[in-house]
Amino acid sequence: MGGDVQKDFKLIIDNEEMSNVSAPEAATKEELQRWPLFGLSVGSFLQVIAMEQQTCIMEVYLNTNNTGHFCFVEGELYDAVCGSLTGEDAAMEMIAWENVRLNIKQILNTSSVDRKIDKNLMLLMMESSRRRDEVQENGEHADLEMEDVETLEDAEVVADDVERTKLDTCLNLMSKDMGDALRAASIINMNDGKVMAFYNDDPDTAQSFMRLTTYMKTTYSSETPFELGDHLIIDLKDQQTLVILMIDEYQWNIIFNNVKCSLGMLRNIIMPKVIRTFNEMNVG
Amino acid sequence: MNIQKVNVCMDILKKDLGEGFIASCIIMTEDGQVLVATDQANIAEATLLNDATAFIRNALKTYPAELGQYYYVDVAGTMAVLVIPFGDYQWTVTVNKKQVKLGLLLNVVLPAIINAFEDAVVS
Repeated sequence: MGGDVQKDFKLIIDNEEMSNVSAPEAATKEELQRWPLFGLSVGSFLQVIAMEQQTCIMEVYLNTNNTGHFCFVEGELYDAVCGSLTGEDAAMEMIAWENVRLNIKQILNTSSVDRKIDKNLMLLMMESSRRRDEVQENGEHADLEMEDVETLEDAEVVADDVERTKLDTCLNLMSKDMGDALRAASIINMNDGKVMAFYNDDPDTAQSFMRLTTYMKTTYSSETPFELGDHLIIDLKDQQTLVILMIDEYQWNIIFNNVKCSLGMLRNIIMPKVIRTFNEMNVG
Repeated sequence: MNIQKVNVCMDILKKDLGEGFIASCIIMTEDGQVLVATDQANIAEATLLNDATAFIRNALKTYPAELGQYYYVDVAGTMAVLVIPFGDYQWTVTVNKKQVKLGLLLNVVLPAIINAFEDAVVS
């Protein structure tokens, strides 16, 4: 991995304001200057960089034997290095680190930066989280966040949040692929009617579309010898199409401009990719 | 409405869809009465879809959007139904989705039968 790293990134946390946050115990003064950011998880910083579409190197310091860095180009994770590990393996290793110190440097010339990571950042974080849970289950780690979950209700809320994050990722991916052809989208849990994610849409519309499919399902099963299948395609005025997909427990409602994006493109290219991403996140 | 032309519409449909054609039915939207139906037509389903159209129009108001020329209902198994509301009339076309490609149905057959039906209605 190359790229000219020429100056420190402007985002610097005021360490004095962070006096209540415990820095890694072994950090020397030099180390503190070298890695001035601390108090947030690696994952949080990664998401901020991705969201802000920064082109930078994020250096990570766990202790003197464990350091590494992530390389971002316009918010896309291109590479990571951690000891002898590179690419996804390095990224996965560092995402799981806690109580780290960080430094961020801008990359001014990206011409020599090779992309070694193709996986979506959210997928990497999910995979890292899954691996961490596995380690926890094996008793190798003791201090992980799930230990704080004391009641079944809390566990459900956490599971709900994880699911919402996955579905948000899917809608973001869809939005990225479809551009301004995507007018609105929402995903609703058909078991409890909860709107899990939405884009340019509101929960009322999602609920309204779910009432529609519930009506169709009920009508079909009670009044005909048939059952409703897994999708509806509704042509709308103003060159729009509404596609409703019922996949497992979720109903996806997608409204798009059918001139800018054909129905065939949505059905054959975009949705399979989005569903594949969702399934990969579930499998880990 | 010219009944002969409506029958021509049905013939166009059967010819274009070939073995993928299962049944078709045209009803009056106001009272759900059947105007024309082929042998295998499921009248109950066609009537229910008349109510479904009203439900869809109502559901779309929330977004807000208006129903366009058609909607397509996937039915479990091998069937699918194309529903074409034409003001006072509603046409349902049941196809074998394994044998009729959606692209053919929506891009070739649908425009042809819409033109033919509009001609039949004004005649």
